[in-house]
Amino acid sequence: MPHALQAEFATVLRDPALPLPTSVISHTSRTPQKRFAVYRNNVMVGLIGALESRFPATRRIVGDEFFAAAARVFASTQPPRSPLMMTYGDEFPDFLASFEPAAEIAYLADVAGLEAARTRAYHAADAAPLEPAAFSQIDADRLADLCIVLHPSVEIIRSQFPIVVIWAMNAGDMELGPVADWRGDDALVARPALDVEVRRLPPGAAAFLQSLSADAPLGTAAESAAASDPAFDLAVNLAALFSAGLAISATHRP
Amino acid sequence: MTTKITKTEIGAAALAGALATALTLVSATASAQTMGGDKAGKEKCYGVSLKGENDCAAGAGTSCAGSSKVDYDGSIWKYVPKGTCETIKTPQGTGSLKPVKS
Amino acid sequence: MRIASSLPASAGVGFKPQHFPAIAAVAQPLGFFEVHAENYMGAGGPPHAQLGFLRERYALSFHGVGLSIGSTERIDRAHLARLRILCDRYQPESFSEHLAWSSHGGIFFNDLLPLPYTQATLATIIEHVDEVQAALGRRMLLENPATYVRFAESEISEPAFLAAIAGATGCGLLLDVNNVYVSARNHGAEARVYLDEFPLDLVGEIHLAGHFETVDEAGAPLCIDAHGSPMIDEVLALYESVIGRTGPLPTLIEWDNDVPDWPILLGQAQSAQAVLDRCCARDRAQSAA
Repeated sequence: MPHALQAEFATVLRDPALPLPTSVISHTSRTPQKRFAVYRNNVMVGLIGALESRFPATRRIVGDEFFAAAARVFASTQPPRSPLMMTYGDEFPDFLASFEPAAEIAYLADVAGLEAARTRAYHAADAAPLEPAAFSQIDADRLADLCIVLHPSVEIIRSQFPIVVIWAMNAGDMELGPVADWRGDDALVARPALDVEVRRLPPGAAAFLQSLSADAPLGTAAESAAASDPAFDLAVNLAALFSAGLAISATHRP
Repeated sequence: MTTKITKTEIGAAALAGALATALTLVSATASAQTMGGDKAGKEKCYGVSLKGENDCAAGAGTSCAGSSKVDYDGSIWKYVPKGTCETIKTPQGTGSLKPVKS
Repeated sequence: MRIASSLPASAGVGFKPQHFPAIAAVAQPLGFFEVHAENYMGAGGPPHAQLGFLRERYALSFHGVGLSIGSTERIDRAHLARLRILCDRYQPESFSEHLAWSSHGGIFFNDLLPLPYTQATLATIIEHVDEVQAALGRRMLLENPATYVRFAESEISEPAFLAAIAGATGCGLLLDVNNVYVSARNHGAEARVYLDEFPLDLVGEIHLAGHFETVDEAGAPLCIDAHGSPMIDEVLALYESVIGRTGPLPTLIEWDNDVPDWPILLGQAQSAQAVLDRCCARDRAQSAA
């Protein structure tokens, strides 16, 4: 196949206003528009479908028709760059954040961000969580220098909106209704074993976990968490870290 | 209110105390979980399954999603969100949202 | 280099994650499962847990949909490396891909796009199949596509084109009988004529699936390879005529859209298995006579 013909086919595939490449024919037509449209439709509907299954709560919030139309704008301007469709839509939350017709739903992009993180966590590397018993062996005098490695699936989404409740309502985990407490959420997404979990983080925990994942030792992470929120409780956070299986190793800085 | 945090505020003793408390909390939850057997049951199911998105079928051949032009101009956009956003009432109604800080 | 396919000559099914609980509950009367390789290129999680479960109990076929062997650009080396890692990890009994392209200019089209069958295209595909086989350290199967248009410059028939690729590279072929039916009908040709020309001795696996039929702008039949319904009787009859000539071959049921409950999909595999069993019974009767 000449390179120029494949390039033309690819361009025409993405722009229905362009005429078909002249060498594309069928036994019934010199310009088989409807047949060529099969390829165009497969491409577009496949991409919209991939976004629909990755962002089901986002879709429920705006409704099927609006979602499909928005997904179509996204797919036409930001087609996949990788043959791994599981990664398609990583940029969709950012797209929604600046997508004017959705501007009134200010929390939408953050809910989409939570859903994107959930799919990444689903496919993230496996790692065995550290047993809490391992922590009781640690030299208590050197705790400040302890480096805790978090599970590869861990992501934190900080939002000005109560996205965990909104997501749960639209993912079928909670009954739909008015949201009483309209304060922002720090959401934790993690997959310590095989189930993806979403949690609402307690005060200061987001700063604590972000600091740990940036390789800060325990003492520094605890201090920056306390600085970000005076209500930060280190004991509660460490307990949650162990029981949720979020830590996979803990070593002293050499 | 400004909070001044210095390194001395979380000293070695405080860290050790927090760790000890954490381990007590965890052992309490762990034994509760073992009693319920909830976690083990879930893992047998190999997790909730998500659809794999790569396949070799041509499902949508006769729709027209790809064969009409994607005309997008924000000012004349014809679609209006009509999902659960109408139910999720915010403190400012469904209009322009400002985060509420308390 | 290992042989193109060592799948058992029995019926298998394209694995869908939603069927996992049903499949894991009891041993299934199936020779193998096939997965789309790209869906298992994540680092971990449930996809690999499920694939590992299948690996321990069944033969496995990896079916690629993203390599774009028909691309006029270079094969995506990063993708080929991912494929190599996946094959090394699971040691599937077969790896197959399509006579089609799906990437161009850095964009992935998520569809299997058609090629003109010319000497120039042939040279490109041969080079790409050689590269894939060298990188994977195994022979692959190449599948005949379902097509909706053709190219004015095509000068070689599709069966002859596939035979030439196999001859030059040593690859085997994956014969999708539904694609034969769909393409023949779409191009006003006869499926049986196509199959008479097809190098059946090179077939390492067969695909069967459902499609739906509509019409083009001229009112002529236009079949869409939707994999969203049971296979039609004509396709099953073509399949039986192929098996009558080749003997039993690994045979896969593909169902990707509107995926039914497990018993319905298993029922499709059992229809194919019945054809294979009839063929074996006839062979036995002939050798006894």
